[in-house]
Amino acid sequence: MSVIDILTRVDAICKKYEKYDVERLNGDNVAGDDAFARLYASVDLDVESALQKAETASQEKNRAAVVALNAEIRRTKARLLEEVPKLQRLALKKVKGLSKEELSTRNDLVLALPDRIQSIPDGSTNGAKATGSWTASASRTEIRFDSTSDGRFESEYFQQTEESNQFRQEYEMRKMKQDQGLDIISEGLDTLQNMAHDMNEELDRQVPLMDEIDSKVDKATSDLKNTNVRLKETVNQLRSSRNFCIDIILLYIILGIAAYLYNVLKK
Amino acid sequence: MTTQDPGKLMAKADKLTKLSFTRWNADWKNATALYEQAAVGYRFKKENEKAKEAFEKASKGQEMISSPWDAAKHMESAASLAKELGHWNEVSDFYRKASELYRECGRSQPASDALGKGASALEDTNPDEAVRLYIDACEILEEDGKEQMAFDLYRAATSTYVKLERYTDAATLLLRWGVAADKCNAVNSQCKAYLSAIIIYLYMHDFQQAQKCYNDCSQVGAFLSSDQGRCARKLLSAYEEGDIEEIKRLAQPSPITHLDHVIIKLARKLPTGDLKELEKEEDKETLDENDLT
Repeated sequence: MSVIDILTRVDAICKKYEKYDVERLNGDNVAGDDAFARLYASVDLDVESALQKAETASQEKNRAAVVALNAEIRRTKARLLEEVPKLQRLALKKVKGLSKEELSTRNDLVLALPDRIQSIPDGSTNGAKATGSWTASASRTEIRFDSTSDGRFESEYFQQTEESNQFRQEYEMRKMKQDQGLDIISEGLDTLQNMAHDMNEELDRQVPLMDEIDSKVDKATSDLKNTNVRLKETVNQLRSSRNFCIDIILLYIILGIAAYLYNVLKK
Repeated sequence: MTTQDPGKLMAKADKLTKLSFTRWNADWKNATALYEQAAVGYRFKKENEKAKEAFEKASKGQEMISSPWDAAKHMESAASLAKELGHWNEVSDFYRKASELYRECGRSQPASDALGKGASALEDTNPDEAVRLYIDACEILEEDGKEQMAFDLYRAATSTYVKLERYTDAATLLLRWGVAADKCNAVNSQCKAYLSAIIIYLYMHDFQQAQKCYNDCSQVGAFLSSDQGRCARKLLSAYEEGDIEEIKRLAQPSPITHLDHVIIKLARKLPTGDLKELEKEEDKETLDENDLT
């Protein structure tokens, strides 16, 4: 027999025994009859997959992967929680072929759903859960913050252990101190700026004065040089040896005359 | 000669200068030298009155021999002696004379310095005259294009005005200061001057005037975009809202702290309790609107 023959034979057999295929029947039933059943089945599936992911997350070593998985789980949880009110509405609808007991069980199932959803571990066990804040959690998933943001204090995903509380307090204290310090710095900088401006203006004021001083001092130095040269010439003239010798000879003559007169008068 | 009695020197010098029968031309040169010596001698002996007279005569002598610089110098010495003696009108006269002589030399800076010294001497006793001297000094410098030097004079004059509580004059002077600062591109001083003017107007409870002043000053682009301009804007808006806390808060930090201390004192007193008046004015306006409608 060829492969094609085998395939056709398998198909024929499956068709014949379809009615014994429970799962398929259930799926068909669900798909065919009931919006509620359909929705419920899908929610169920999602819950199961989320639980699986939670298991892998708990076994995962890589923290980043853990965080990513947890984020996905949270997303799914939020989505499922959104679906729950729809399910509730559908549960209360009467569908033909459904007994009253089944209707009540459906209601119970729906009521049990939120708890089941919440109990899926997503890496954050909280003591202060705001179970009524469905819309809050829904909005949280749209705002994709990283864990370093500080806008999620009232988020139910915030692990409010003592440590984190202390840490937050410390963080706020430090922030306040930093703000104070920055205020002081800014005041100092303002003073500095003012002083710098004043110095700027003062220097501008003194520039023309310096120029004046410069020119005047130049003039004075040139005068001085001139005078020095002339003085040098004069002194040289005075000190020329001829005049000097004449001065000495005359001096001797005068002393001689004086001594002569002295002697004469003494006698 | 210096050890000679100054009295004798004075007598001698007087003789030299007095025209008489035997003397047709007064010998000013020698006389001046003698007068100077006499003056120094008197000052040394602390006979201020006589020293002052001697300086006066020396100065006159220098004028006669056409050396206005020395004449002005002597005048200044005479003026400082007069200050010590307490002859206040003489002080102002002497300083003005000295300043004129300096201007003859063509040196405006010493001229205004002389007037400035005179003004500071007269601040306590005759503040009006002092202020006039300050303003004249500023004008001299501005004529010569040296507005930079005038800043100190403006500052002193403003503080005198504020002491006299002539606030409008003070504000006008501050605006003049702003103009002077503008000419030499001293933006910081200009903005500070304008802010001080606005504060003074607010202190006088003259809110409209302050508004007008602010609008005028905002024409100057530099003021509009400066810290001082921003502070003024906030002050005026706080006043409009009648928010006392806001005003007090604004008066604390810079740029008000960088202004002159006289202005800071005014600013600290600023919310002078007249906000209710302003509010009443505003209320009246609303009432009028109601009447119209």
